[in-house]
Amino acid sequence: MLEARDLRKSFGALTVTNRVSLEVARGERRVLLGPNGAGKTTLFNLLVGELRADGGQILIDGRDVTGLSVDARARLGLARSYQKNNLFGGLTVRENLSLAAACAQGRARTPWADSLSDRGVAEAVDEVAQRVGLTELLEVPVDTVPYGARRRLEVGLALAARPRVLLMDEPTSGIGPGGIHAFHALLRGLPAELTIVIVEHDMDLAFEVADRVTVLNYGEVVFDGPPREARDSALVREIYLGTWDGDA
Amino acid sequence: MTADVSFWIVQALNALQLSMLFFLLSVGLTVIFGLLHFVNLAHGALYALGAFVGFTAATLAGSYWAAFAAAPIVVALVGVLLYWALIRRMRSAGPMNQVLVTFGLIFVFLDVFRIGWGDIALGFAEPELFSGRSELLGVVYPTYRLFIIGLGLAVLAALSLVLTRTQIGAIIRAGVDNDAMAACMGINVERVFFLVFCVGCALAGLAGAVAAPVLSVTTDMGTAILIPTLIVVVIGGLGSLKGAIAGSLLIGFVQTFGSVLAPQLAAILIYALLAGVLILKPAGLFPARG
Amino acid sequence: MFHQTPLKTATVLLLAGLAVAYGLSTGFFGLELLTEVAILAILAIALDLVAGYGGMISLCHGALYGVGAYAFGSATVLLGWGAPAGLAMAVGGGALFAWAIGAVTARTHGIFFIMATLAFGQMAYAYLFESPVFGGNDGLPGVPRLDASALGLDLNDSLTFALTCLALALLAYAVSAALLRSGFGRTLVGIRANEARMRVLGLPVWRHKAAAFGVSGALAGLAGALAAQHTMYISPGLLHWTVSGELLIMVILGGLGTLVGAALGAGVLVFLKHEVSRFTDHWHLVVGLVLIAAVLAGGRGLYGQLEHLWERRRAARRAPPETPAPDEETTGHA
Repeated sequence: MLEARDLRKSFGALTVTNRVSLEVARGERRVLLGPNGAGKTTLFNLLVGELRADGGQILIDGRDVTGLSVDARARLGLARSYQKNNLFGGLTVRENLSLAAACAQGRARTPWADSLSDRGVAEAVDEVAQRVGLTELLEVPVDTVPYGARRRLEVGLALAARPRVLLMDEPTSGIGPGGIHAFHALLRGLPAELTIVIVEHDMDLAFEVADRVTVLNYGEVVFDGPPREARDSALVREIYLGTWDGDA
Repeated sequence: MTADVSFWIVQALNALQLSMLFFLLSVGLTVIFGLLHFVNLAHGALYALGAFVGFTAATLAGSYWAAFAAAPIVVALVGVLLYWALIRRMRSAGPMNQVLVTFGLIFVFLDVFRIGWGDIALGFAEPELFSGRSELLGVVYPTYRLFIIGLGLAVLAALSLVLTRTQIGAIIRAGVDNDAMAACMGINVERVFFLVFCVGCALAGLAGAVAAPVLSVTTDMGTAILIPTLIVVVIGGLGSLKGAIAGSLLIGFVQTFGSVLAPQLAAILIYALLAGVLILKPAGLFPARG
Repeated sequence: MFHQTPLKTATVLLLAGLAVAYGLSTGFFGLELLTEVAILAILAIALDLVAGYGGMISLCHGALYGVGAYAFGSATVLLGWGAPAGLAMAVGGGALFAWAIGAVTARTHGIFFIMATLAFGQMAYAYLFESPVFGGNDGLPGVPRLDASALGLDLNDSLTFALTCLALALLAYAVSAALLRSGFGRTLVGIRANEARMRVLGLPVWRHKAAAFGVSGALAGLAGALAAQHTMYISPGLLHWTVSGELLIMVILGGLGTLVGAALGAGVLVFLKHEVSRFTDHWHLVVGLVLIAAVLAGGRGLYGQLEHLWERRRAARRAPPETPAPDEETTGHA
């Protein structure tokens, strides 16, 4: 469903993505692990097209999208959420979700019909709000809702885009144990055919949801396999233990 | 053939002289933007103020050098007033509010000039030391214009020396690159910013006094030079000293040679150049931030 | 997001009513002022559409206005076409020029966008200033007005012309409001709020921005065609960047991103200039100080401030003063 072949990216002398290859099957839940600075977010930026790769290929559903723009890839069903909230400031939660839903439903550019009051858009907004637990806050400006709600909206925006492939960058960062629990419930409730890649910091949490785990270190894939093997892998342990004291 | 060559030499000197005026103006504008993130449309008005103050000083004292000394000082003082009254609180207000407030300042200055000096074009004589003509590279050229070129080069040399060799220069370069980092250096960064702002204003005032004997002093001289100066700054890359030099030379030469070679197109040429640069390199030729 | 609130509707109707009453009671000179206000209101609305809602602070709307005036002037004076064809040329020319500028500048932001639009506007200004075909610096005299006798209107009559311009200003408002209430308009606001996210959601952002700029250019072109008919004369001065600057003043005085504020600002600035120049030659000084004061006061503008106070009072009335009611609709129907 989503495939990266031999992706490379450098900033000057610093290689942040080094020959990364990755194949995620339809409906798979893949977790990307790695210490800070391993190149997880960069990989997302490359996959989505916000960064141009220096080399390599990206395929969605077997189609080469390496040359496509960010928006063209999104229209093929690729959506992402961000590690740092990247919302539509000054607008309400409903307006935020409506913008995403209108894009997904081809209502974003019609000069005659309103997208806010469109039934299809409104239904999608209500459904996503329900999923991420924002129904109560729909009419509140995003700048005034609590941080945890903004994290959920961050995921909600990606969901409202009706993706076929969903990339989530540390969706659980900074939301506390209750939020993490709710997030896992949300994940379990998502359609089985949706392909999901999650960047996660916490190994134990990652192993709970992952079908397969990819570990990055210094921009390279150092492990790719089922969670059980990752747990037992000495290399993975070493990478994590090696950075654990410094990070936490 | 020799007449031909000397014609081009004269044009090149004209272009260089114009470039130096642009440089004196744009260097202040660009460093102020780079450090303070402030777009000052009133920079042209400060240049005009320099010319008017210079006119009054030269008339009162009977010497050009009075203008040369008074213009930068007075304009820097006005700059201080503007800084405390307006610019400090507009720094984080976004480009649109800055453009609007300084556009308002242009209007205010315009009428201040009218009230203070009237609507008639004024002029004052160049200094006796540099009056007449000199021979250079086999052409006869007004000495005063050579003085402008020399002054521009001297300012350029002094600024690059300060920027590359002194601690203040290092702070300025760090500040353009990254404010937070400059603040971490533990020095009072605000004071350095303020100093830079004053120097930028003084240079604008100096440019006004220096240009006055060549061009005439009019109320709209500030608005007239503002646009090419902004173009210089944007083409060069906001905040970049190297960009200000390159942009000044580029615009000075394109404008001078454009009006000689293709008078029909000359006026459009610099705008087309700006549009082209912005499309191909949206951050200018020498962006200050890497 | 844009909402045609009752307050907005009331303000539009009040302004229109005031303008008609003023037009019917004033003499020739007053009608000239009223016409100018109506035309500039269209232009200011066009600017607010992209600047207030799309976040595209343009310094080329004077040039779009001038291009409309020149398209109308050259179609009627130089080509000898009728005024309807001239009008179509003005609207189409403004739209086309604006679309091209919007497309090319779509990737620039902030001060770079402002400068890029300035450059394109000044390019058009410089071209017309130098061009012998269009009369250069002298411009083109003898621009005719539209013959609307079929509708029983004599546009050479000052009152009729003023009221026609006023009606077109209302139309421009209605068209802009309708556009802002559509999916297109919502997305435009989304681009202002977070352009990168809009792109990641699958929107071809540059096409959207260029289209919005094109619509704005069509309205500016219409305003230009009316200005050419109003003074029956066109000159490059219409395109100068200071015209665009004054337009921004109008929009900020009335309230950026409120649409009706743009029209209000046009009226306030034209009458302020007029009143001030009765006492002194130095209207620049007064307008400059008013502008600085308006920005320092928070930049909401007259209508923006009114709306702000109105919303606060409504919120206070509906809920106990210390807890605002965030979970209620604070704006009118969409």
